[in-house]
Amino acid sequence: MVQSAKPVPPIWCPGCGDFSLLAAVKRAAADLKIPTHDLVLVGGIGCSGSIHNFLEVNGIHALHGRLLAQAVGVKLANPSLTVVAAGGDGDGYAIGMGHFMHAFKKNASILYIVMNNETYGLTKGQPSPTSQIGFEGNVESPFDAILSALSIPAPNFIARTFSGDPKTMIQVLEEAIRFNHENRGFAFVEDLSPCVTYNDTYKLWREKVVDVSKLPGYDPTDRKTMFRLYLDTTEAGKIPIGIMHRPKEVSKAGLEAKLLGDALGPARSEISFPPNLAAYQKLLAGVA
Amino acid sequence: MTTPAAHTAPISGESGPGDARPAVELTDLSVMIGGQGGDGTLTVSDLLGRYFRKCGLYVYMSRNVLSRIRGGHADASVRASRDPISTMKPEVDVLVAFDNEAIEMGKVELAAHGYVIYDSTSFHTDVPNASGFPFATLVGGPLGQPIFKNTAAYGALSVLLGLDPTKTREVIEERFKRRGGEALEKNLKALEIGRKAALEVPGLANRFSVADGDAHDLILTTGNQAVALGFVVGGGRFFAGYPITPATEVMEYLQRYLPAFGGIVRQAEDELAAVNMIIGASYTGARVMTSTSGPGLSLMTEGIGHAGTAEIPIVVADCQRVGPSTGQPTRHEQSDLSHLVNLGHGEYPRFVIAPATPEDCFVLTADALNLAEKWRVPVILLLDQALCQNTTTSARFGLSEVRVDRGKRLTAEDASQLTEYKAYRFTDDGISPYAPPGTPGLWAEITGNEHDEWGHVSVNQTNRVRMMKKRMEKMVKARDDLPPSRLFGATDAKIGFIGYGSTSGPIRETQSILAARGVPTRYFQARTIYPVPVHELDPFLKGVDVAYVVEHNYTGQFARLVREFLPWHHEKIRSILKYDGYSFRTPQIIAEVKGAA
Repeated sequence: MVQSAKPVPPIWCPGCGDFSLLAAVKRAAADLKIPTHDLVLVGGIGCSGSIHNFLEVNGIHALHGRLLAQAVGVKLANPSLTVVAAGGDGDGYAIGMGHFMHAFKKNASILYIVMNNETYGLTKGQPSPTSQIGFEGNVESPFDAILSALSIPAPNFIARTFSGDPKTMIQVLEEAIRFNHENRGFAFVEDLSPCVTYNDTYKLWREKVVDVSKLPGYDPTDRKTMFRLYLDTTEAGKIPIGIMHRPKEVSKAGLEAKLLGDALGPARSEISFPPNLAAYQKLLAGVA
Repeated sequence: MTTPAAHTAPISGESGPGDARPAVELTDLSVMIGGQGGDGTLTVSDLLGRYFRKCGLYVYMSRNVLSRIRGGHADASVRASRDPISTMKPEVDVLVAFDNEAIEMGKVELAAHGYVIYDSTSFHTDVPNASGFPFATLVGGPLGQPIFKNTAAYGALSVLLGLDPTKTREVIEERFKRRGGEALEKNLKALEIGRKAALEVPGLANRFSVADGDAHDLILTTGNQAVALGFVVGGGRFFAGYPITPATEVMEYLQRYLPAFGGIVRQAEDELAAVNMIIGASYTGARVMTSTSGPGLSLMTEGIGHAGTAEIPIVVADCQRVGPSTGQPTRHEQSDLSHLVNLGHGEYPRFVIAPATPEDCFVLTADALNLAEKWRVPVILLLDQALCQNTTTSARFGLSEVRVDRGKRLTAEDASQLTEYKAYRFTDDGISPYAPPGTPGLWAEITGNEHDEWGHVSVNQTNRVRMMKKRMEKMVKARDDLPPSRLFGATDAKIGFIGYGSTSGPIRETQSILAARGVPTRYFQARTIYPVPVHELDPFLKGVDVAYVVEHNYTGQFARLVREFLPWHHEKIRSILKYDGYSFRTPQIIAEVKGAA
């Protein structure tokens, strides 16, 4: 048995919503029997992005906002790995917005979890892209990641969870990872994860969350229905949680499957000379 | 301005009937083809390049285009010689012009014996030694489209230069066989139309003669193609990039080459994503690269620093162009060097290596992958527009100088023998054995934060100092692994040149010219730029009275670096600089060498 890096204690404040998410990720990995050495957790910058330090995992701490680009690189290099990217709303929806929108379009089979607390906690409570108008002087409209996700016509898995409802969270994460394992593509889960120090929204969110699957007409395979359901719910002052989109067809639509088929991927390709020599010579002979 | 119709019938020729002058014999020929973007100037130069290569000559071709799809002045130049060449000739022997602007721009470089062939469809010129042919009109009737005027011009040119008609035709067949059918047929017809028109002008045929050479089995290639090929044979299997002139062709070639080897090429949403995608793929164990130019490099700076401190091996090819900002996207410069050696905030090791020819690009790209993986540092492949995009004959790339060295990379079997796995273990050489994710039985933390051996975030002072030394000392410890410089010229010469990249071409030709005048020189071609090869530069500088650092920028970036690291040679160092977007021509260097004119 090789001794590898041991988890360190979380840096989070007592009561932080991120604890639920950490527990749910551990539970999902255990339930799905993912060997630790095959699980990669790409962390962003911010309180939530340090999650990879707090469990046994291949952890890589990415640059602020760049975790999705790194996570896609990991998955394409070795598609047999289970790749989870996790960060905060500032990381994903501000500095990382370009990569965020393109992740849906790329559709690599990775799970991206955004722990949304509607503030920049680590830098002490500035407004974030999801902050409500009036929070710390914010005058800009809050960004809605679920609506944006639904707007991209790609076969993604889209869901929202609430740290106050860990049971549903585990179910959603497990389904998301299974979706990845079937090479179906990108899974996005926004977790509503209150910052108990700078923006304690537990009480407010507990009152407002609505399980979208209980609403009349719920059909996560139908984008149009989900848009209407989502907008009707939010316009009524509620916060929908649950699975917002899951494509009907089960096909290997994941980017890694499209590019590689059953090939091992760049990280496991043989690069020593003997097996490649004939092909290299042919390639060089083809240069006119 | 005269109307096009006025020039459709008569074909003006400077030579009168029966004027049979002796041919101007050339062993080193330069042809410039100019017009508007879309006139097909690059096609004519490509055809000529292929022709001369067929005749056993060395070829060097440059292009001068604008950053737009069509329109605007564009020209291309072809040089062919019996001797090896790696730069353009200072003068033009023959100018092919599709508009008057091309004549105005080209005539200043025209040799005394020079000649002009131009498309007289829409203009007439009074420059001496010129023949106008209404190429667009001549082809427009029989072929239905004037676009074949460039091939007709190639035909007329072949008559002027006394080229072999069969080979002239074969070159078109080679060039258009892939498109086949109508394109090939019409180009062959256009060739005949051009040849026929030129043969009707008395005294035009065989005005020049170009002797065949004995260079055979050469390929026509560019630095960008060589970089792509070097990446494949060096074991590169993951490439991500974002389109940017003049680096894009590296990505385009790899899109063709890599899938057959189980590799992946991704066009990312921006350079930030491109560099982070290769970081992710490298962390996972793939050999990776991106290619970019100044503006993209600025965006990638963040990621390169991350790779530096997280010790993730990456290769970044920087095809330098005129900067800053958008600068001149299609023009040549070497002005990123200062940025590269100081790249990013904070301090981390990086190797900057610089090939000078396509063959060198091929070898050093493969080598860059070894250096990056072995030392676990970012490696910058320092290129420039002329090296990347100019086409030249080259010896066929071979595998004798290529090897794959994965350094202390751990296999699953190695890993199973360990008792503990620390991704940042302190070692004598500063290199920690690495096992990528997926290696059974172990895992690690990898981070751009300062960290301890386990990869855990650390603010411990003692650890910080040890980790800094672990990383930074690689710049010293790797010395013998880095590409050695090359020396050219007389070993006892008192006049020295220092340069890198495509500038090596004009410098070496300058050396030949000066040697013929009895002025011996020696040239230090730097292939490792950073860490500055003090151990190689010191003996070189000791031996000379003066060293001219020849480079394409305003501030003398390489000269400053040499002065900084070898201050005791400060007084010997001079700069020869050019920053007008064009490569050096030999007279421009010679004019600045004291005692050489």
